[in-house]
Amino acid sequence: MKRLDNLDLCAAAALMSLSMACATVPPPALEQARENYQQMHRDDRVSAQAPVASYEASQALRRTEQAWEQSSDEIEVKHLAYLTNRRVEIARETAQQKAAETEAQQLKQEREKFLLETRTREAERAKQLAESRAREVQIAQQEAEARARDSQEAQRKAQAATDRAAELEKRFAELKAKQTDRGFELTLSDVLFEFDKANLKAGSARSLTKITEFLRENPQRQITIEGYTDNVGSDAYNRDLSQRRAETVRDFFVQNGISANRISARGLGEEYPVASNDTEAGRQQNRRVQIIIVDEKGQAG
Amino acid sequence: MYARNFFSLWVSGPLVFTVMSVTGCSTVAPPKEQLAAAELAVQQANKSKAPQYSPLELRMAMDKLDEAKRAMNKKEYTVARRLAEEALVDAQVAEAKAASEDARRAASDLRQSLETLRREAERSSRGG
Repeated sequence: MKRLDNLDLCAAAALMSLSMACATVPPPALEQARENYQQMHRDDRVSAQAPVASYEASQALRRTEQAWEQSSDEIEVKHLAYLTNRRVEIARETAQQKAAETEAQQLKQEREKFLLETRTREAERAKQLAESRAREVQIAQQEAEARARDSQEAQRKAQAATDRAAELEKRFAELKAKQTDRGFELTLSDVLFEFDKANLKAGSARSLTKITEFLRENPQRQITIEGYTDNVGSDAYNRDLSQRRAETVRDFFVQNGISANRISARGLGEEYPVASNDTEAGRQQNRRVQIIIVDEKGQAG
Repeated sequence: MYARNFFSLWVSGPLVFTVMSVTGCSTVAPPKEQLAAAELAVQQANKSKAPQYSPLELRMAMDKLDEAKRAMNKKEYTVARRLAEEALVDAQVAEAKAASEDARRAASDLRQSLETLRREAERSSRGG
């Protein structure tokens, strides 16, 4: 019994020597390791980004705690606390590495997207540029074509004007027109009148019809009809007779559809004879009308 | 008999324990595995970006590994084990720090290149 007591005592003493520190506060190294680990553990990012390293840190802390509880070997506890702190550091660094890698991945995607957009934009811009160039070329072509057409048109108009002038000349030649400073002057040789008469002789219509056609084709032209007589009779009478002769011709034109506005008629009596009044043939030639063709503005055509 | 028992239990018990725990003598096995692991970790860290980005941690790991080897030769196995274990985590810290620094730099480079691209695009789209 006594031996047993002694044994108990002995064991108690041995335990005492072991647990001297155990009963008191844990060493600062352990406290610091705990705090360090807790701080890391509170950061969700670390356990999310570095789960293995976090687990290893927690295991290291557990071993430290166990060593403290079981042996109270301060040097070993301090050593294990050091390992814990290092494991916490590894977990933190690993988490940071993963975060940076994730960011880099996003940045890469962003850059690729950006480059793609830039290329697309540039291609679009180049396309638009090419299109606008093509449009410009097309417009220039169209303009050149229009100019060519215009010039053709102008040429055609000029040709037409020349043709018309030639036609006019031909007509006038047919009618034996003379160019004078008053305009084209036509003496209608077959439009002649009986003595003391103002009505048209049969056969006059041919030249008058030609002039009517001419007036229809050239609506800008105006004419002046001048009536004349021979020298038989008084001046006053002959003036009146010549007026009536001019008006007869005017009426012919009006009846054939020419506007009266374009025609003026006047009698000049026995003045300006074209032949001698001494013979009947000469007097017949003097009983006549003359037509002066002027253009719209009153200028000689 | 009584006196011998008294002595053996009261004195030899704690004494044996104390001697064992302080010197870590015959009952502690040589930490061969820990040393090999530390050696491997240091080698790996040396091959990583650690010499460039975390030379201090790497140096600590290498020094501790050397010390562990010396302790091993002196048969101070507990000391050798602790030093080997610390060399291992130090080497791993060196490697982790270097890897995270490398990743941060890569991200920063990318950020800058993206910014440059954006600035250039803005300039070219504005025309001059």
